[in-house]
Amino acid sequence: MITVRLPELLRDGRGEVVTMMATSLGEVIARLGLDNDERDELFNFAVNGDLVLHGEKQVVLNPGDEVEIVVAFSGG
Amino acid sequence: MSAVPIHARIDRLMRRLASEPQFPTQGQTIFVDLDRQEIRRAYIPRRVVETFLGGRGVNMYLLHNLFDPSLEPLHPDIPLIFGTGILTSLVPSASRGNVTSWSPESGVLLDSNAGDYFPSFMKLNGVDHLVLYGKARKWTLLHIEDDEVKFVDAAPWVGMDNLDLRAAIARDFHGVEGKDYGLAAIATSGENLALCSGIMAGPKAIYARGGPGAKMGSLRLKAVVIQGRSADLTPFRPHKTRNRDVAQKLLSASVIKNAMKVRGTPFLYKPSRMLGAMGTKNNQETTWTDKLDAENIDPFRPGMEGCFACPVNCRPLNDMTGCEHTPQDQYVKGDGPEYVTVGKFGPNIGISEVTQVLRLNNICNDLGLDTASTGSAIAWAMELMQRSIITSEQTGGLDVRWGNYEVIERLLFMTAEREGFGNVIADSSRAVDKGHYPPEALDYLMAVKGLTQSDPHDARILKAFALGLAVSTRGMDHLRNRVTLEINAKINDDPDFKRELYGGDVSAEPNSYGGKEIAVRRCENIYAVGDSVGMCRFTTKLFNSPTLPGYEEFVDQVANITGIELSLAQIDGIGLNIMGVERMINAQLGVGRKDDTLPKRWFEEAIGVGPYKGEKIDRNEFDQMLTRFYEISNLTADGVPRPEWRAELESVLTS
Repeated sequence: MITVRLPELLRDGRGEVVTMMATSLGEVIARLGLDNDERDELFNFAVNGDLVLHGEKQVVLNPGDEVEIVVAFSGG
Repeated sequence: MSAVPIHARIDRLMRRLASEPQFPTQGQTIFVDLDRQEIRRAYIPRRVVETFLGGRGVNMYLLHNLFDPSLEPLHPDIPLIFGTGILTSLVPSASRGNVTSWSPESGVLLDSNAGDYFPSFMKLNGVDHLVLYGKARKWTLLHIEDDEVKFVDAAPWVGMDNLDLRAAIARDFHGVEGKDYGLAAIATSGENLALCSGIMAGPKAIYARGGPGAKMGSLRLKAVVIQGRSADLTPFRPHKTRNRDVAQKLLSASVIKNAMKVRGTPFLYKPSRMLGAMGTKNNQETTWTDKLDAENIDPFRPGMEGCFACPVNCRPLNDMTGCEHTPQDQYVKGDGPEYVTVGKFGPNIGISEVTQVLRLNNICNDLGLDTASTGSAIAWAMELMQRSIITSEQTGGLDVRWGNYEVIERLLFMTAEREGFGNVIADSSRAVDKGHYPPEALDYLMAVKGLTQSDPHDARILKAFALGLAVSTRGMDHLRNRVTLEINAKINDDPDFKRELYGGDVSAEPNSYGGKEIAVRRCENIYAVGDSVGMCRFTTKLFNSPTLPGYEEFVDQVANITGIELSLAQIDGIGLNIMGVERMINAQLGVGRKDDTLPKRWFEEAIGVGPYKGEKIDRNEFDQMLTRFYEISNLTADGVPRPEWRAELESVLTS
């Protein structure tokens, strides 16, 4: 079982934390319905606290992994 | 002595300037001799505008013409130049302007950008550029209203810091800042020539980098007040319909509606921390506590503020009233913090309490201190203490150790006054030159071209960030060319989109060197153009989103407002021109390829945590990337414009 922590913006009626069976981050993205243009450049994924910067759909997940969606941009 | 005195340089320049506006909405360039209390006025020729636009770009044209490298940065013949963007106050989110000079802090080009209200009030009063030189015989406030420039004795306001000064000006000039007037002023740190001092353009807005506060203080100029709205800003043709498009584009971008308008830039602390790229303890470490994540600032944020006519309102306010851990004095509330301040006054100096970061932020805003330079100077001192390179003998007994909040707070006031060890912090990155530290201290200075790093992001992982910091013309600063979207996996994983975004193949892997020069080149160009039209960096395409306003909107509104028609390629070329003349100015100071580099630590010490543990900068790979950057930037092997392009630039600069 994978735990996914959602930011308020992407909960869409779901709770802050959802659980699901998934073997890759690509599966998580698809099951959350984020594999489309609605998920824009603002959101990145972190797995067990490590931010994923590329190749996100191929990231392998293991039971017990924690996925977090993180707001990422820049400032001054 | 100056080989060519400033008056002679201005005489020579005036002969080449225009006596009438060159397009609708063009404002004057006013030359102010603070010593002789004399004013001269002219207009920038159309060919110069077509080459550099306005704001930062035209500031560079002026500096190049008036610059004398045989002097020192604080010499009164070295001008301090304020410029407003060609679209400032006329397009949503275009409320910015630049101040330009020779930096007393870094020793290279000084160029710093600010918003709030001052740049807009320049434009609203028909002042595109304000060239200040000569040392006033006594402290002076410059008051501009209805096309009249008055030299006012500043004695009533000297010694005031930002909070008291802004209240006093509102009282004494009978108005409300942002509604009735714009104000640019220095606090005591600028009066005392602290090299880490800025010019305050609002309660928090600051022309921060490079020591502009010290430069203004050296001219004995306390403040500039621009009052009223006297300019005729009738555009060449109607522009409001296109403005609505710009506003809609701004407000529909996810980064604006879901992040900037909600919490502002402190959001970025968390991803940097999770990446293992949060500069901690002078970049000896790269991650820090989650207690400083943006959501932990929420309880202290009563609302958001914004710059002139900007629909975004990205500036978080803070209020700690009733918080038992914080003194309930004038620093209990304020503006900010931005991400930079969270990083520089949090992990960088070992502070982990939100309320302490907020209070230090409020104190810096009052004292007119650049949080990037001041935080960096304190972190540098702390590492030198940790390594016993300096001792309590140099600090006057102050226990300058990581996280020692009471000492840090006290040190800020001492810095503004140049008192005790504060005199050393006030000399910022120049502390070795000034004889405060031994030469070996330079091994631990996190600076490029003499300027400490602007933001807290440790760029050993993302090579595009690293290249940007190395080649930035004003020194180690992310706001000149940061390829921010390199942190976004969705974009990195879409090669076609990424190719279109940057105009070439840029590796998907953030820690790869492949093609990163292409992305830096593209960003540096559009950001230079943004500074010249007056657009905020946060809302310019590529800095935070690929969907924000960019060249398409800029060329349309430049044409609508001025009548000057530019193609997309031409406006991109203007960005390159600005970088080119900046490099020509720096070259006069001996700056070249050897200076387009990074702190020693990033080449020699690896990241110790996170998904990119072990990452550092490979000297050979970096050198090759730099060579490729020069090639696509039309620069010689020493980093200056190639002869043919240089001749073209010089024909505009000097003919």
